[in-house]
Order: sequence, then structure tokens, then C-alpha cells
Amino acid sequence: MILIGESINIMSQTIGPAMKERNPEPIQNMAKAETNAGVDYLDLNIGPARKSGQEFMDWMVRTVQAASDLPLSLDTTNQDAMEAGLKAVKGKVLMNSVSLQPERLERGLQLAKTYNADLIGLLWGAEGMPRDANERAVHAVNIVFKANELGIGNEHIWIDPIVSPVSVEINQVKACVEFMSMLGEIAPGCRSTVGLSNISNGTPTELRPWLNRTYMIMLMRYGLYSAIVDAFDKDLIAIARGNRPDIIKVVHQVMDGESVDTASLTEELKKYYKTAKVLRGESLYSHSWLEV
Amino acid sequence: MAFEVPKNTYNGKIREITLGSGPSALKIGGETSYPLYIFEGAVPNKVKIAMEVWDTKPDDWPEAALEPFADVIADPVAWAKKCVDAYGAEAICLQLVSTDPNGANRGADEAAALVKKVADAISVPLIVWGTANHDKDTEVLRKVAEVCQGKTLAIGPVEEGDHKKIGAAAIGYNHTVVASTPIDINLAKQLNILLGNLGVSDDRIVMDPTVSSLGYGIEYCYSVMERVRQAALTQNDERLQFPFICNISREVWKTKEAKQPTAEAPELGDAARRGILMEAISATLLLVAGADLIIMRHPEAIKLVREVVNDLTG
Repeated sequence: MILIGESINIMSQTIGPAMKERNPEPIQNMAKAETNAGVDYLDLNIGPARKSGQEFMDWMVRTVQAASDLPLSLDTTNQDAMEAGLKAVKGKVLMNSVSLQPERLERGLQLAKTYNADLIGLLWGAEGMPRDANERAVHAVNIVFKANELGIGNEHIWIDPIVSPVSVEINQVKACVEFMSMLGEIAPGCRSTVGLSNISNGTPTELRPWLNRTYMIMLMRYGLYSAIVDAFDKDLIAIARGNRPDIIKVVHQVMDGESVDTASLTEELKKYYKTAKVLRGESLYSHSWLEV
Repeated sequence: MAFEVPKNTYNGKIREITLGSGPSALKIGGETSYPLYIFEGAVPNKVKIAMEVWDTKPDDWPEAALEPFADVIADPVAWAKKCVDAYGAEAICLQLVSTDPNGANRGADEAAALVKKVADAISVPLIVWGTANHDKDTEVLRKVAEVCQGKTLAIGPVEEGDHKKIGAAAIGYNHTVVASTPIDINLAKQLNILLGNLGVSDDRIVMDPTVSSLGYGIEYCYSVMERVRQAALTQNDERLQFPFICNISREVWKTKEAKQPTAEAPELGDAARRGILMEAISATLLLVAGADLIIMRHPEAIKLVREVVNDLTG
């Protein structure tokens, strides 16, 4: 699993103001902290950056690359800012993201081609969020086809099927997993990634990691190649690195509909069991899901 | 091969809750199948209709809604009695409109005394509805609970923000809680869990999913109610197996379409008929979605809905 640290983000209450003020120190400290936590990429999310986006992304890339050797994922919807970042970056780089709205798709793919960058193919269509696994499949085929036409190989495309919060619509949570199980056949050789923490958006902060980790295991089962994650969740990193087969086993048992002797589980594993039940849609989410 | 009628399988059951006490007791809920699926399960209690009574003379009701109550509109006790005696109300919902801090801001003692008077005057269960202002409802509904001990009222709306204090009063004085959440299945489940943690007994909870009028998002209410019933009945989700109460009439009669006089909007047809039909159709949608008790206003709308209930549940 390739892990992409999510913490350098304009929405962050600590890092966001430093980004706006162009104050390098907190950003570089965060970059170092994420690097030490053991992730593989750093995401630089500058948001839509409507004003002075080019200067902003250029500055961000230089600032972070002075503090960390990790490859970067450049995260903005401003394509001029994206291009400025691609020009400034040294080494491997990932564009986050290229979506299917016609005006974004063409320019995004062209940038990936010109700068020899990998790209996240976000399955967000002209009509917004795909409604189910099949619409995701249609979008995936379209984006891969267009990229291939330009000579971009599948190994450079990281498909993002879009994770949505469990507290909003469980069918979307299930559809995203279902799509992951189809991706290998639809687009052989393509990579994949997800904005993992979105699964727990709206959930009380201290409980979010249970959802993030469990959902990651469910997607990993179908070959998830990478995820944008909370770099400071040690258990999540341990799971991604294959160091917690006990947790993975329980989640797989729930996915397979096997009966699990919950009485024999540790308190920790019981929480994964309950979380997997919720994410499978077998029991309904509430903020107290771990207690009932 | 012979055709086989597809059949849902259920593993859960909606709790049967008793409103009121003694001779006025009224049972709601108890279904073992989707709403009105009498061919798949038991529907032991027909959908009940409560009539609403305001604690103060309404100043924004259209003519059609006022007309049936013209002789009692300034006297909540007489009004409630008329609903029961003349229109066959199976329960009364007393709306404590005048306690609204942004309105008349009537005090808790006065409100509670009125509730007691109404409760004493009628032979059917009483539902008491606050203003959804957490501080004021806490004050008023706690007092109501105390003064009306023994009446087994249903009191609401009880929301996450005021569930502890109102819930505790309901436990202490043995009333039923109307658990109210804003059109969201996850929050509905959460509030029921919290009420359980607080110690509210499972036979003292009914659910208000929050409803809105035809034309004002009732389809969202429908979907949420439908999903609640799916989880309750096919996934045996114990924290959702409570009957639904739907406070619909206020939502309908405050809409522009229900209020505009015929002369102002002739293209919409006769104003009285329009309001009555909007209320009847809204209530019908809710009963198809799973409502167990519907709070209604106009006697003609109620008649129409009763016909539907009788046709569909035999």
C-alpha cells in the first residue's frame, strides 16, 4: 500500500493559516512529522486557490521539498496552480486530481502528458457524484480511454472511486467497495487511491480511526493500491504494512458473512467487528455504533 | 411453473406502545411487516389520528381551518372536547404555541396548568408538543410532566439537545417521550440509544422523524421513514423499532398553497378544498410510509384519511 499523508491541507486549523501567510516553518514541521510517521507521499492540498494560485503552489512545492524527500501529490482544482506546481517539483509527482468534467479532463490529461506526471482519475462526472458502482465503471472506462488516446499508460492512472461518509448514505459506501472489486477487470494495470478519511466525515473525532482503518481493509481486499490517510494513525499504518493480520481476518470474516464468535474476540477486535458490520450495511450507523 | 407472489422476510417487530392510561389507553405500533402489508404480517393496530388543539387562539390559520372550531377556538378545553365528541379524535395533541420565547412566551406554570385542565377534560390520550426551543421546552415540559403525573402523556419534541432533562422528567413521572430528529435515520437511531442509556424504558418511546407538507420535501421524510422500517424489520435494529408519530397538520396549513384565498389564486381552485386535500394527501403519504399516529387538523381531511386507513387495513 502506498500511503499519502493528508495533513498539509488548507482546511487544517493549524496548517491552513500558515499556508495562507506563507509561513514555511509549521508546514515544514508537518512535512517532517508526516515523513517520520512513515508515509510514502505528501499531499499538498491548497484548495481551489482562486487568487494567486500559481505562486501559491510553486511556493508550497519548494517549501515542502526543502524539508522532505518524499514525492508529492499536488492537490488543487486550479489547473494553472497545478501546472505551476508541476514545473517546480523535483522527482516523482502525482496530480490530485483529474475529474471527468470536459473542461477539466482535457487540460488535466494534457498536463500529465507534458510533465510526465502520474494522475489521480477522480470519478466525478459532468453530473457530479456517481450514483452506484456501474456509473463509477462507466466513468473509469471513459477516463482511461481518453488518457490512453494521449499515450498515457494505465500504470500512470490512479483511479479514485470517491469515498463518501457512512453517516450520509450507506449505499454509496457499499458501491465504492463493489467498484473496487470490478476495477481490475475494467482497467487492467490501473492503480487506485481513495480519500480514506472521508468515510468518517461527520463522526466524532475520537471515533473516526475505527471507520478509516476498517474501510481501508475492506478496500485493500480488492486491491486498493494507495490511500490518502491520517499519517499519525499508527494502527492504520500497521494495518497497511501488513502487521495486523488479526484485524484483517475479522474484517474479512464479516465481509464473507461468516459467523464470528464475538465473545472470544478482544475488546479491540470487537470494535473492528462492529465497524465492519456497519460499513457492510448490516447494521445501521449511529454515533454510538461501538457501544450497541 | 406456477407464479409465486414474492414475499419479504422479516426478523424484527415494531414495539406496541400504549399512550394514555386506564380507560383512555390507546395502543399504537406492533407491526411485523412493512406499512399496510397486511398480506405479509400482523398489523394489530390501525393508524390512529390525533387532532391538534392550540393553547392560544391562532392568528394565522386560513378560514377553512378555523371554521370547524369557530365556537371553541379561544378555549383549549372546549376545543379538545369538541374534537373528541364531535369529530371522534382518538387522541389530542396540545400544541404549546404560546410558550414560544419568540412569541407570547407564556410561563411553565401557566402552561402546565392548562395541560392538566385539558388532560382532565378528555377521555383520550394527550400528546403535548413544545416549541423545539431547548431551554424553554426543558422548563415547560418538565413542569408539565410533574403536574400531570399519572396521565401518561406523550411529551415532545425531545431532541438530542434537551433529551437528558426532559427524559429524566418523563422517567420520573412516567410519561412517554416523543424522540424527535431532523429527517435523518442515523441521528434517529442515536437519539433512541441515548434515551435508552438515560434509562427511558423502551415501552415509553415513540419517534418523530420530522415531517413536512406535500410540496415541501415530504418525499425526503418518506425515504427516511421507509429506511427506518427496513432497518427495524429486516435487520432487526432494536433501536429503531418504535412507532412513528407525525405532526403534519401545522406543516400543511402554514404553506402558501393552503393559505391563499380563492380570490388571490383562482387557478389553484377553491381554497377550503385545497387546504383539506393537501392535508389529506400529506397524511396519506405518511401512513403509507409507516406512520402509526398522525396529528391532523381539519375534520374533512381526517374523514378522507380514515377512509383510506379502513380500506387498506380492513
